[in-house]
This record gives sequence, structure tokens and C-alpha cells, in this order.
Amino acid sequence: MSLKYGVLGLLKGEPLHGYEVKNRFEGMLGGTWDVNIGQIYTTLQRLERDGLVRPVGSRGDRGKQLYELSPDGEKALDHWLAQPDSGPQQLHEDIYVKLLLATRIANGDLKGMLARQKRAYLQRLRDLNRLEEGARRDGRIDLARLVRGALLHTEADLKWMDELSSERFGTEGTKTE
Amino acid sequence: MDGRTFFRTFRDGGDKNGMTELVRLTDVTKVYQGGITGALNGVSVAVEKGEFTAIMGPSGSGKSTMLNLVAGVDRPTSGSVVVGGTELGQLGETGLARFRRDHIGFVFQFFYLLPNLTALENVLIPAQLKGNPASGRARELMERLGIIDIASRYPARLSGGQQQRVAIARALINKPTLLLADEPTGALDTRSGEQVMELLSELHRDGQTILLVTHDAKLATRHAARVLSVIDGKIVDDARLESSELAASDVIRVRGEEASR
Repeated sequence: MSLKYGVLGLLKGEPLHGYEVKNRFEGMLGGTWDVNIGQIYTTLQRLERDGLVRPVGSRGDRGKQLYELSPDGEKALDHWLAQPDSGPQQLHEDIYVKLLLATRIANGDLKGMLARQKRAYLQRLRDLNRLEEGARRDGRIDLARLVRGALLHTEADLKWMDELSSERFGTEGTKTE
Repeated sequence: MDGRTFFRTFRDGGDKNGMTELVRLTDVTKVYQGGITGALNGVSVAVEKGEFTAIMGPSGSGKSTMLNLVAGVDRPTSGSVVVGGTELGQLGETGLARFRRDHIGFVFQFFYLLPNLTALENVLIPAQLKGNPASGRARELMERLGIIDIASRYPARLSGGQQQRVAIARALINKPTLLLADEPTGALDTRSGEQVMELLSELHRDGQTILLVTHDAKLATRHAARVLSVIDGKIVDDARLESSELAASDVIRVRGEEASR
């Protein structure tokens, strides 16, 4: 995921200073994506270099500079928003490779691994549920939506553990039983 | 293994400090003639007073069977079921009926309200079986569950969510020791389902012991701190979940990349 389009999206509608971009970015994502102000400035400078944003007025006190979207920036943002996320699915967590190795390694304890992973997912669901409740209570709708997506993902992960635990998918061909 | 995982593992098998055991199943099996669906195969588990426990598993795993045995509506093929100190196997049919009436509140997926009785009359049925007028308590309960305005309506004129709340009031009228719920949100839309679960949570906060059967892991983990996983008639996991307040970044990380050049 690219910070570039996040910054472009936040600048749509009104010009912002670098630190306003940072605050809005974190407000939207609820701290789930930690960006530092240096990254924001670097990104703004690159976008300016590429003609996608442009400075508004001159630097104010303490060197604060407002930026706005250029027409090219609007076009680039609209194009990005209109593109579906396709391409390979990203599987980042270790569990995918752990599971495959556990079926190959003697005493890989596949069942134990599945049970422990399942429990970790249950705890994650509980944590996500609490986070969603808190986000809704505080009126943080963006964060609540993000958490909802994570909840449904975790539910699918849990179903996968159950499927792997059943005879047909899980223990077939393993050396551990 | 990190500290949290160790702590969870360590608590396996129950933390009995200051808690009173309410339900104990010991080596329970249940065999159904003509098929293995819903059978139980050596289940041992204890539930403490005041716990909100979810029983999860695929359909046919035996989770509803567990609930029916605890409720005394079904008897095990072997093993023992003790509820509130009473060994259910030692009760005859009359004794079991009395046990159910006095100690068990049961909520089902499809409500099972009597169509020719009003909501209030439905709520009152278990109290009348006990010879207890209880209409004051019924009104109090219906007030609390937000259904007092529809007390004189017949079930056919109620929404699914309202019918389920009437069924919950009926389950609670005799102040049951144990509230059992078998897929109580299964026939409801998402919003009504959430309201029903909120209600169960509130009852739990007031001290009600609840056993919930569900296949919905999101709902289960939202409301129950303990999750029993049942597969093929066996409890394969007994998870006591933590309820700590965490920062968003402790629960989710959105993965970013450096801005492209």
C-alpha cells in the first residue's frame, strides 16, 4: 500500500500542511499505520517534483507550507481509486509456511499447531471486537470499518484452521499421526 | 511462546479461585441410533457460576447435544451430568421436569412461542407451571427487555427480534440458575441478532450464568470470555480469552510501503 495515494487522497478537497496530512492520516487509520512526519515531507516533495501536488502561497511562519492537488494529481488519484486491487493475494503471516513445513517434518505436531493457532485467532477476534466497540463508541467510523474488515478476515482464518483440522484436509499425508 | 500465550496456556483447565462450579460433565457419551450426527464421544468439562461460555463447532459436531444434556431434556448414553450439585441421571422424569422448570432457562433459534397466547402470556407459562403468578416480574422483565409495549400482542404480529426477546423473558421468568441459548441469533437479521446478544451480555454482567451454542465466532468472542470448540463429539479446545483494552496498533497493522519514486 502506498503512502503516495493516501497523501493525494487527503489533499483532495482542501490544501493542507505536512503535519495536517500526518494527523488526518493517523486519524483515519487510527494508528494502525504509523507514519512519521519525515515520510510525509519526503512524499510531498516527490509528489511536487512529479507535478502531482503544488505549493499554495509562500511558506508561512515556522516554514509551514500548504500543498494542494494539481490537475495531474487529481487524475492520478481518480485513476488509482478506480482501479480494483487485483494481482497476487498477499499472505504475510508465518502460519502459511509453518503449516506446510509441519506436514513434512516428523513430530511437526500439526494438530497442536492448528489448535494453538486457532486459539490465537479466537483471542484476536475478541481483541478486534473490543476495538470495534470502542471505535464505534468514540464515533471513529473509519477505524470501525477497518476493524470490521479485519474481523471478517480473522473469521475466515479460523474456518481455515477448522478445515485443516478435519481429516480430509489436514492430516492426510502427514507423518505426524 | 510469549508471556501472554504462556499465561493463557497456564490457565487451561480452569481457574477456580473464588468460583463455584455449576455444571460438570464427566466422560459423557451420547449415541444416536441410525447415525453419528450430534453424538458425543467422551466429553468432560466444568462450568463455573457466573461464566458466559460459548460452545462452537460445525453442525452435527454435538454442541447442541451438550446443551440438551445439561438442560435435562436428553439423557447421556453413559457418563454423568451434574448441574447445581444434582446428578441428573438420578432424577426420574418428574424430577427432571421439575429440575428444568426451576433451574433452566432455554432460548432456541426459532423462539417456539405459542401462537394463540399473547407475548405476556407466553412469558408467564413457566411461572404458571410452577404455580407462581409472577405477572409483576413478567412486566418488569418485559420492561427491561424493551418489549413491554407489545405485551398484549400475539407472536404473529411481532418481528423476529421481538419474538426472541419474548422467548428470553420466558426463559428468565423463574430466575433460572442457568440460561442456555442454542443459536439464539440464527433466525435474526444482523441488527436484531446483535441486540439479542447485547441483552445476553447485560444479563451476564448481572451475574447470570450462560451457555451459548453458536457457529458464529465473531459473536462468540465478542460476548463470551470462554470458548469451547467441539468437533466430532469431542471438546478439542477450551479457551479462556483475555479482555484487555488494547491500542488499535496492538491489534491491527496496515502495511505501508515507502512512497514510490
